[in-house]
Amino acid sequence: MKSKRSDPLFALAIGALILFGLAPLIVMGWRLVNASEALGVLKDPRVMSLLGRTLGLGLSAAALAGLLGAPFGFLVARTKLPLGKLLGALGLLPFLIPPLLLATTWTQVTGLRGAPMTALLIGLSTTPIVALFTAKAAGRIDARREEAALLAGGRPALFAMEWPLIAPAVMAGCAFAFLFAIHDFALPDYVSSVGPKFNVFADEVFAVWQVDQDAPEAVATAIPLVLMTLAALLPALVLMRRGSMATIEGNFEAPKPLDLGAGRWPAFLFCLGFVVLGAGVPLGRLFWEAGGGPQGWSQVALGEAFAMAFELGRDDLRHSILFAFSAASLAVPLALVLGHRAERGGRTARFGLPLLVLLPLAVPAILYGIGTVLLWNRGGGFELIYSSGVLVVMMIIGRFLCFPTLVCQSGVASLNPELEEAAQLAGISPVKRLLRVVAPPLWPSLAGAWTLIFVLAVRELDAAVIVPAAKQTAMYRVFNAVHFGHSNYVAALSLLVIFVVILPGLLWALFSKRRMEILP
Amino acid sequence: MQPDVQLALQLSGVTINVGGEPLLGPLELSLVVGDHLLLVGPSGSGKTTLLRAIAGLGNVTGGVMHVLGQKVHAGPNSLISPQDRGVGLLFQGGALWPHMTVRQTLDFVLTASKVPRKERKQRREKLLELVELKGFDKRSVPTLSGGEAQRLALARALATEPGLLLLDEPLGPLDQDLRRGLLKSLDALSKELRLTIVHVTHDENEARSLANAVARLDKGKLEITQTDSSGSSSTHDPAPEPSREGDESA
Repeated sequence: MKSKRSDPLFALAIGALILFGLAPLIVMGWRLVNASEALGVLKDPRVMSLLGRTLGLGLSAAALAGLLGAPFGFLVARTKLPLGKLLGALGLLPFLIPPLLLATTWTQVTGLRGAPMTALLIGLSTTPIVALFTAKAAGRIDARREEAALLAGGRPALFAMEWPLIAPAVMAGCAFAFLFAIHDFALPDYVSSVGPKFNVFADEVFAVWQVDQDAPEAVATAIPLVLMTLAALLPALVLMRRGSMATIEGNFEAPKPLDLGAGRWPAFLFCLGFVVLGAGVPLGRLFWEAGGGPQGWSQVALGEAFAMAFELGRDDLRHSILFAFSAASLAVPLALVLGHRAERGGRTARFGLPLLVLLPLAVPAILYGIGTVLLWNRGGGFELIYSSGVLVVMMIIGRFLCFPTLVCQSGVASLNPELEEAAQLAGISPVKRLLRVVAPPLWPSLAGAWTLIFVLAVRELDAAVIVPAAKQTAMYRVFNAVHFGHSNYVAALSLLVIFVVILPGLLWALFSKRRMEILP
Repeated sequence: MQPDVQLALQLSGVTINVGGEPLLGPLELSLVVGDHLLLVGPSGSGKTTLLRAIAGLGNVTGGVMHVLGQKVHAGPNSLISPQDRGVGLLFQGGALWPHMTVRQTLDFVLTASKVPRKERKQRREKLLELVELKGFDKRSVPTLSGGEAQRLALARALATEPGLLLLDEPLGPLDQDLRRGLLKSLDALSKELRLTIVHVTHDENEARSLANAVARLDKGKLEITQTDSSGSSSTHDPAPEPSREGDESA
């Protein structure tokens, strides 16, 4: 159903997408067009080795995320696993803990660094993405289909029937894990700051920019990374679509939890093991460090560390929360308009709009940050925006708008279009239809989209190292501090950052009876 | 050609596409005010598609369509938006807004129809009385039974005071008793409000008593199979004799 009279709203949303998300890319592209000699950096033999390393890192991290995430997601969502719900919730923590903090704690615990450690940590961090995709797909298989398969050939037949339905979702999750892996700057930078150097493209782009602030060279350096990202994103989009379409039917009957039989306890141990490795170890290490660590743990030291973290990091925490809250609150209405149009606006909009919102994610975060700086660092009236937190909020919205848009698109897809058509026939205006008919049933999706942006914004570090006001955030303070060694105050501040990240999800879990929808 | 003002619906050579492929047409049909047409046909023949096209929600690709004296489609161009056609549509599954109560549902539509606040309550109560849902104001939509939900959907479709009511399998999900009750309500309503009704059903016998014409849609073609002695519905003549009801009103 096309809603042409909602064009002003759509124009506003597209305008915001162009200004916040696409303009930095256009600026960077324009710089490169005017300095095409910069493409010469691609002839550097180092490019091939960087490409190989980045690709290797992405593939290994995605493979690990797939190997752990697919069974974890299925087990917690669909089986009678002991403490399944609790493990499912705790299994999100490795994604919520900023990757840099996973790196600082695990490298301290094991002493391992270099390529395998980088891949392992990014794999752990992105496993919950695959698990979430898997859990969602597995939960959408109709109970009658399962019963038919069970009658036909027991559990083997059941899994044989389910795998093709779940596989697209698993692959889509892996594609996103790959994406996060190849764009991460802070984690590889930290892990290889001591010992064997493990340079990846994101590092190289930052290095090129730092050496002589040469934007065209930085853009040219990033071209292989952009192509690699697009190669992962396009199949992910198709797979997400296929995954969500394959399992939905009318008169849906929710599937029942499956009995694992003798495999119950091994499955429990596997899930518990993942939670311990992905969340228990980092959080435990941070608590230990905050309470004194090698000097001897004490409650007094822990209290002092938190007091100091509050004292020194209060303003940074306030900025982090303010930026994340503002970005999430502005991004969700935009995403609702864009997601709605993407779903209801015909074939071109269905594929074109998601692709457009995904473009800012296709460029390395560092490069996106550089583009934002070049766009707004023009003096005069622009200075007000450039030097303030407004730029950080704009940057977060522009870069991450794709996630809430895809979540909203998926939410709208699950709504019967006749609900809107009935309102249209009754003469309800397009804006009212969106606010009063579409938005209320999508409340769990909107809350999930809001939370996702909030989480990504508080965790954000990769583009923030470039933008001036983003250096006043708690995550940036931690990033700076960990490079100068570990102290109990840094560990306490890290725990506070993690607490801020999980706070919205915690509040939702405590006060809402419905499940939050944070996936497309 | 200027259509007769007594014509509630006129299709002249209308063709309809679905998914880029031609599904229906060219279709010819004329209904005068007060007609009640039963539209039957096998599954997938395009009955719902035709209703949606009349309401302005479908993809009309050719021909001319008049609704309540207004030209609403000429060729592929929609000339009048769905909400301005004076059409009410009872969707097959009800398509009720799940987050609203009975009262909110009707108030939402009445407010959009710019019914003054003072009259709103009165109109709402009248509608609820019509569909025998008096006292259900505070019930939320998900707590309604199948029959109650269907009656609320009917009240919602009537809230805009349409001249042409399109019913898409209104009895589909109901049991025998509820079917009879709703048929009775429909009959009373159509007489009281002088509605023209196009009624899609798969059970021709059940609703036959209400209708004065039956049309069969099959393989993209529409054919009137039965009319009563004064039946005015036609699939061929764009300017038919006025019906009994039409005569009376004239």
